[in-house]
Amino acid sequence: MSNNNSSVGASSKARVGPSQPSETSFKRKRGVFQKDLQHMMYGFGDDPNPLPETVALVEDIVVEYVTDMVHKAQDIASKRGKLLTEDFLFLIRKDLPKLNRCTELLSMNEELKQARKAFDVDEEKLASAE
Amino acid sequence: MDQPPPTSSEPPPSTTTAPPPTTTSPSPEPPPLTTTTTSPSLPPLPQNPKHPTHHLPTSQPLPLPPQPLNPLSRSPFNRPYHPFSHFNSMTNHSSTASSSSISPAQRGGMALGVPAHPSPQPPSSFSSLTPPSFGSQFGRGGNVNAPDSVPTTTTPQVRPSISGMQGVGMMGSLGSGSSLRPTGVPAPHPQRPMPPSLRPQTSASNQSPTTQNFQDHSHLRHPSVGSSASPAPNNTPQNTQPHNQPWLSSGAQGKPPLPPASFRPQMNPPTLQQRSHLPPQQQIAMPASTQQPQTSSSLHSQPSSLSQQSQDQHYSLPPSRVPQSLAHQQQMARNRGLGNQRPFAPGISQSSPVAPPPAFNKPPPAVEPTESCTRIISKRSIQEIVSQIDPAERLDPEVEDILVDIADDFVESVTTFACSLAKHRKSNTLESKDILLHLEKNWNMNLPGFSGDEIKCYKKPFGNDVHRERLAVIKKSITAAETPSVKSSG
Repeated sequence: MSNNNSSVGASSKARVGPSQPSETSFKRKRGVFQKDLQHMMYGFGDDPNPLPETVALVEDIVVEYVTDMVHKAQDIASKRGKLLTEDFLFLIRKDLPKLNRCTELLSMNEELKQARKAFDVDEEKLASAE
Repeated sequence: MDQPPPTSSEPPPSTTTAPPPTTTSPSPEPPPLTTTTTSPSLPPLPQNPKHPTHHLPTSQPLPLPPQPLNPLSRSPFNRPYHPFSHFNSMTNHSSTASSSSISPAQRGGMALGVPAHPSPQPPSSFSSLTPPSFGSQFGRGGNVNAPDSVPTTTTPQVRPSISGMQGVGMMGSLGSGSSLRPTGVPAPHPQRPMPPSLRPQTSASNQSPTTQNFQDHSHLRHPSVGSSASPAPNNTPQNTQPHNQPWLSSGAQGKPPLPPASFRPQMNPPTLQQRSHLPPQQQIAMPASTQQPQTSSSLHSQPSSLSQQSQDQHYSLPPSRVPQSLAHQQQMARNRGLGNQRPFAPGISQSSPVAPPPAFNKPPPAVEPTESCTRIISKRSIQEIVSQIDPAERLDPEVEDILVDIADDFVESVTTFACSLAKHRKSNTLESKDILLHLEKNWNMNLPGFSGDEIKCYKKPFGNDVHRERLAVIKKSITAAETPSVKSSG
């Protein structure tokens, strides 16, 4: 669900687990989302300084959700072999608000990419022109 | 029992019948105790087996249905404890309608869920309560089929044995613990201390009756217990406390004074099972029966005092965390109980986590009495939970009774299965991960915040070579069939 938590998407993927399928369970780092979550909770109506226990609980919820989602996506994608964005979209197909937000973010991402590419091209033109 | 859900028509007749039994309860108590203990059908109020236990609370001061407060008092017998029968009958008849109506919306603070996917039959230790995998029926006993027959098998054994209030001593200790508990917090003790609201009412009636009578029935050492038992009828932990303490100090009596810790583990599993059979009294019997292998009563007394203290600590948990606190407390109780058992007999301790049946078998009779007087959650807590959902909402007393029973069944079944998981883990300690695993797999309940630091490792879906080959062949054939059509269309 890196699409949804764009701000913490990168870290969430890394946290899912070690790449090798080992039997040992790795210690989960606590407080990975602490700073970001505090701001997000404030944005949703909580106190500007929420309790650390609350933040830890919300972080547990987030991590559990992401982990579960990724496992399910991997199950779906294992047949194909590669893990694609469509797998995640498939998993949230029943949750319309999430799905729409996801597609919106993905389309915005595409637009930004296009804009950046155009910007780079313009810069090249300018550089070449000069 | 085919009883349609308690309808308005039912209560009136039952209530009318209820008062008479209650009036007679004080006097006939001694004799009824003996008789009641003998047969689950209980003479005094056998006629209302069908009537939901709910009627009693409204009519009588004793809130709990079957056993809880007055082991021998008639009032409990009004509804010979058939909580499960209620469930079964009600679920069978009303079933989906009623169960679904009660489902998630009324759960309030409880994190109940329905399995997303058809899960393997969840263990249903009690006919009345089964995980949601059974479809719309909310954990009702409708599907009792007992995929996990272990607990059910133990039940019959346990029930007959529970007789008498040996648990009186235990109740006293429990009472002290429960008394400290805020009303909002359900009684975490597996021992099921009587809900605070119930205690005062029952204390008066309980004390006199039966403890003496129960002793005869209970196979546990009643003689010593008798004296102590009388003061602490199952229902009034508070009142019994002073009485029980002499027990604990003496520590000789055996079963009844059995430490709450030891009582607890056994209590939980058998509680539900025994409840249906034994009318009130039995709560004490459970601890006593559990201790049958008793190695030394002194050992029991010591752990009990310790357990009581530890239990008190649990009460400070906020009500909102009740379900979680319950799990914790249960864990603690079980841990203590297991720990207590160790000194007694290595075999016993090993067996206790092994599987619910052994635990049940041990204290066969004891469970009932304790269970009846002590519920995991009180009606007051139910009302508070409902107020969290809708402040103006009010539940019928029958509904509250059923919910209390459901809560008891749920806790017992979950703890039982978690113990078997712990045993499977080759451990004598019940840990949170056992309960979490059971809830996650069978009840589809995710409880964040308890899993500790472990990362769930992903296991690649294992595919057989043969299966993979077959899939590849299918793919090839599909592509081969598609290409001609594509060529033709293109």
